[in-house]
Amino acid sequence: MPVESHQSRPWPAPLADRVAGDASAEQIAGAIVAIWQEMDQSLNPIIGHRGVAALFNRSLHLSAAAYPWLTIGHQGATTAIDPSALQAVLARQDAAEAARGGIALFQQFRELLASLVGAPLTDRLLRSVWARSAGASPVQDTTS
Amino acid sequence: MTSKATINRLATGVPGLDEVLGGGLPEFSFNLIAGTPGSGKTTLSHQIMFALATAERPAIYFTVLGEPPLKMLRYQQQFDYFDAEAINQRVRFVSLSEDTMTGDLDRVLKRIVDEVTAHSPGLVFVDSFRSVVFASENGSNGKTSLQLFVQQLGMLMTSWQATTFLVGEYFNETDANPVFTVADGLIWLRQSVQRNSMVRKMEIMKMRGQSSLPGLHTFRIDKAGVRVFAPARVVSASGAGPHLPGARALMGVPALDEMLGGGLPRGYSLLVAGPSGSGKSILASAFLAEGVRCGETGVLAAFEQHPNRARNPVLVDLIARGQVGLIDSREPDLSIDEIVLLILTEVRRLKATRVVLDSLSGFELSLAPTFQTDFRESLLRLVTALASAGVTLLMTSELEDRYTDLRFSPYGAAFLTDAIIVQRYIEVESRLLRVIAVVKVRASDHSSDLRLYSIGEDGIRIGEMLPEQEGLLGGRPTRKPRPAPPARDVEAEGH
Repeated sequence: MPVESHQSRPWPAPLADRVAGDASAEQIAGAIVAIWQEMDQSLNPIIGHRGVAALFNRSLHLSAAAYPWLTIGHQGATTAIDPSALQAVLARQDAAEAARGGIALFQQFRELLASLVGAPLTDRLLRSVWARSAGASPVQDTTS
Repeated sequence: MTSKATINRLATGVPGLDEVLGGGLPEFSFNLIAGTPGSGKTTLSHQIMFALATAERPAIYFTVLGEPPLKMLRYQQQFDYFDAEAINQRVRFVSLSEDTMTGDLDRVLKRIVDEVTAHSPGLVFVDSFRSVVFASENGSNGKTSLQLFVQQLGMLMTSWQATTFLVGEYFNETDANPVFTVADGLIWLRQSVQRNSMVRKMEIMKMRGQSSLPGLHTFRIDKAGVRVFAPARVVSASGAGPHLPGARALMGVPALDEMLGGGLPRGYSLLVAGPSGSGKSILASAFLAEGVRCGETGVLAAFEQHPNRARNPVLVDLIARGQVGLIDSREPDLSIDEIVLLILTEVRRLKATRVVLDSLSGFELSLAPTFQTDFRESLLRLVTALASAGVTLLMTSELEDRYTDLRFSPYGAAFLTDAIIVQRYIEVESRLLRVIAVVKVRASDHSSDLRLYSIGEDGIRIGEMLPEQEGLLGGRPTRKPRPAPPARDVEAEGH
């Protein structure tokens, strides 16, 4: 099963299922951090705190190109990220910008992980996060 | 009623490994997979895990510091056995790197125990262990603590109803390491590097409760994962000999069959030795073609020094029609067991009765240097394995013409074979002629004629003897002197 460097399958929208359309920046920030913590929980046992932290810092750095306000982590750090710092910076944006930034960050993270272990395995590892978010529309098993 | 415990043996899913282990992996055994970096420990572990893990018998794979788990997942998924769907289902990965980095081995042990208690896996892998040595040496615990840790882990692993594996860049094998005593199985992976070649070898140093096959077994790692080449004798013993039509195999050259005393006895190995261009490969093709004519199939193992040289058209046709199987391995660094396995697999597939190995010189060159040094031994194993499979074998051997001595092969291989045919060039009346002779056919009458032969469109034609010439084997025969008048002889002796 070769590693796919890029995948074209759509990113399940965990955010849309968790917050209402008129949610405030505060609420969106809370949802993004919650999703992030779930992803952290799913990946931690497998690749370790430092592994997840390194990936997340890299994703922040890459996302900061489009969303300069996301410059909170520092690349190369392998220490765990402070979720409250992320929450604070998200809450300072307006709601739409915070949502776009958060989605971009997850997209970046997923692409980074997929470039390392392939899209099917990435989806496999993060499936529990989508399953929790998706509610009525369960994630399709597209890996087989 | 028997009170003995029944030990289930698990099929590892690694080709050849079960044979080498002596019939699979005992369930609930505690095994060490040891070796140097790059020797294939992690690959072997993953392959076994994906083959054995089921919903009822899930696996936990603990990664210690050794290989970052992300990289491991990245590279392991290149192998065919990797199944991403299995992850977090029948296969769980657990990273212990953070616990290990603290140097607190008790904490590592506790993490392992907690996970095992929580998930009751049927298979447990801990990869890899050398890193724990480093971590603890850097810490204040010292080496005793590590030994104690490994021993404790070993004892714990034994008590779980799980088949467990400790994977590690292991300390020296001569090290009197306590974990070696605790372990039920000890699988050692090695890489033997000689000149520009590398051969992977596996040794089952220990496997409790069953007789594993001693010695070093070669293996290869490719896209499908690890493939172990069990010794030739084991591989061949497991197959029944093919049905043999007639006691003798005809050679496709009727006059030569007469010289052999009615063809080559079935199951014999024949060495055809001769200089370059003497028609050894043509004779070999005739041998295979005759088999096909009699309704048999054959296998050609070609180790040619000139791979692009056009092959005999008759043979090309037989190969295309599937009546002769072709083994044309271009793999570097072949081991004798791998070649035997290749040939026997093809023999079984085609139910072949005839095998041609063309030529020994090419065969020797395609072996990894480490096997070339004891080529005679390798050859003996090959001949024995094929003989026990019941096939009739023809091998060609390139022999430089030396007119001062009579030799049959540059390897001293003559004693290994049951029959020998030798071909030579001779000079007669300013022409280069070829002669052929049957030197030996074990336990059978055969002709001692030295016969002229020629090679034409229709193959080899055996001709006459040259009774009025002598010294043929010296390459420059002379016409025998006419018998001299007896009177002169007496007179000469008188002087």
